[in-house]
Amino acid sequence: MKPSMGAASVSEAAGERGRDILAPDRRSGYAMMLPAVIVILGVTIFPILYSMWMSLNDVRITLNGFQLSFIGLANYSTLVHSGMFWHSVWFTTYYAVVTVVVELVLGMLIALAIHRVQRLKNLSLVVMLIPWSLITVVSAQMWAYIYNGTYGVLNGILQGLGIIQAPVTWLGSESGAIICTMVADIWKTTPFVVIILLGGLQMISQEYFEAAVMDGANRWQVFWKVTFPLMRSSIALAALFRILQAFGVFDLPFVLTGGGPGTATTSLAILGERSLFQNLHFGVGAAIAVSTVLVVLILSLIFLSAFRGMAEEGA
Amino acid sequence: MRNKVWAIASSVMAAGLLVAGCGGGAATNNTAAGNQTAGQGGTVDLSKASGTVVWAASPITTGTDLRTALIQAFEKSHPNIHVQLQEQSTNTDTNRGSLTTAIGSGSSTPDVYMGDVVWPAQFANSQLALPLDEYLPKDFWDRFSSGLVDGATYQGHIYGAPFFADTAFLFYRKDLLQKAGLPVPTSWEQVEQEAKTLQQKGLVKYGFIWQGASYEGLTCNFMEYLADAGGQVMDSSGNVTINSPQTQKALSFMQDLVQSGVTPKAVVTDQEPQAMSLFDQGQVAFLRNWTYAWNDSQNPQNSKVVGKVGVIPLPTFGGPNGYSCVGGWDLMVNPHTKNLAAALAFVDWMTGPEAQSILAKQFGELPTNKQVAQDPSLKQVSPVFAVLDKVKFVPRPAQTPNYPQVSQAIYSNVNQMLSGSLSVSDTLQKMEQQIKSAVSGGGL
Repeated sequence: MKPSMGAASVSEAAGERGRDILAPDRRSGYAMMLPAVIVILGVTIFPILYSMWMSLNDVRITLNGFQLSFIGLANYSTLVHSGMFWHSVWFTTYYAVVTVVVELVLGMLIALAIHRVQRLKNLSLVVMLIPWSLITVVSAQMWAYIYNGTYGVLNGILQGLGIIQAPVTWLGSESGAIICTMVADIWKTTPFVVIILLGGLQMISQEYFEAAVMDGANRWQVFWKVTFPLMRSSIALAALFRILQAFGVFDLPFVLTGGGPGTATTSLAILGERSLFQNLHFGVGAAIAVSTVLVVLILSLIFLSAFRGMAEEGA
Repeated sequence: MRNKVWAIASSVMAAGLLVAGCGGGAATNNTAAGNQTAGQGGTVDLSKASGTVVWAASPITTGTDLRTALIQAFEKSHPNIHVQLQEQSTNTDTNRGSLTTAIGSGSSTPDVYMGDVVWPAQFANSQLALPLDEYLPKDFWDRFSSGLVDGATYQGHIYGAPFFADTAFLFYRKDLLQKAGLPVPTSWEQVEQEAKTLQQKGLVKYGFIWQGASYEGLTCNFMEYLADAGGQVMDSSGNVTINSPQTQKALSFMQDLVQSGVTPKAVVTDQEPQAMSLFDQGQVAFLRNWTYAWNDSQNPQNSKVVGKVGVIPLPTFGGPNGYSCVGGWDLMVNPHTKNLAAALAFVDWMTGPEAQSILAKQFGELPTNKQVAQDPSLKQVSPVFAVLDKVKFVPRPAQTPNYPQVSQAIYSNVNQMLSGSLSVSDTLQKMEQQIKSAVSGGGL
């Protein structure tokens, strides 16, 4: 990337002296970019287009590799007519919205607290990062142990405190499983939000706060009129990263509930994995993947326009 | 600002599409169609086999590795063939995912792989396994215990050589029954009754544990009660016949076990390890589990019930000796293998008396080779072998290439019923409708 950017800015500066002198530079710049472009085409663009193409085909494995026969939107029709698909869309969306909102609010509170108490900043950052740095499959196993209905830690604590009499199978009811999965997600990814928001917070010049206080603003007003508008881009960044990740949620419900009880926590990614790798219905699986992208795109755009309105109103 | 929104939106799009890219990312390599050995059929001469065989297998035993023990013994008797072990996931579905991706895109390795007994129809339908009957002599198949080869057959061809079997037993606490003066139960009703008595007397916390999580293992548990009640998922011509009073009886019994408190409510999240650990910790009187549970319960490092355990075949409704689900693994051959002779020589030896004796006598796995299975000295290896001849086997309805979906229709609905949010009759209806849709190749 660098040579071409360099060449472009130099050519702008050189403007009048003519472009021809720089043409060889530009050419070698493109040549240097070529390997990167080829890699991106090969590992990103081609698979994306190919899975879109797959979603429009009936895909079978034969001795001569994958055999595709075009069937138009039939795979999508299968999805649209399946209650299971809509359930997964609903669950994944609900899951993403709830976890992202809670994580943003919690993350903001923690970031503000850490920012204010500078003394323990490094220590608190390290502690915060532990959940985030654990591999999800590992932390999910840990949560499965906490939630377990016969020997779980949570039941032990609550029974010890006399809050519940008999052990509860936390993952055994639909609402319980959904809430428990969300709690584990929030525990794990709030630190990520904190880090991004803390970065945004530290970039705001102290002078704004001083000016606001001098003008007689209370803390609430300072937050909504100064901090929040200035942190728009960090919040948007954190939210978008989280929405994208939350939409691909797979490992947590896979370990905690296997998509159950029944199908309560079957996310789009779990449904897609089932179609692709268990049922070997590659066309339908590809259609699920493409649909997931559409849903996440729509949700992200809704979020962005809503957030923009909100932030401008605040400012 | 507008520009920024679009910049972010387009990066969202790119990142999101990556998800799609990963989802459907199986490559389209065309296979080397003219592969020299497989493809034309005809019995292969195994005597001159040489070269390397890549064997994909997931871990079978904990502790000493059965796979390496077998490979060493094989290489000793076949000095011209080298076997390379390709490690596979212990999670059956992950294992299948990696095999279908590799073989589906035409890879010539692994040459031989371990395939679950419920895979043959699906793998045959997708041409992921070689029809072995076309390359091995007819009398090769005589070595296996009856019924096992049928399970590896799809539309008249045999796609797997049974490697080792597995099935379920009822493990019980001898000491507790003795203390309470109760006999070893001889029916499901008696298991429930005695479990209740032991709980009421305060001798044990839970009565009976099995596998009720939303996964394949629950389908196995369900198939046993269903067969005991005299029901079936599909009849011999493939019609879905699950909506019957027999299924209702099976489901009602499972539901009652949980509702009566004999089985803890947490069974809806229990797979084999959770059920096993509850039993090992002395918290439950009866356990339904696979063969390995005997050794596990007798290992003082993780078990508090060493020497206190008895084993019987699973009972049935109103009597002893009911049905047990057939589990286990076949050896399947990659249709793209470049060394068919060596691959078949390996399969031949692994299902022969020497390998099967190692597997049974040294590692306690159930052999598929008739001659080894009938060896009377096996009964001293483990009490599991001693009760084996009383076990009746029920296969899962895996004769359809859409079996994974059929199984999902069973386990997700039964799991929901056990969790208390679906009635027996609703479970029955949902299962029937989803299985019908799965068998016809539709739905999700």
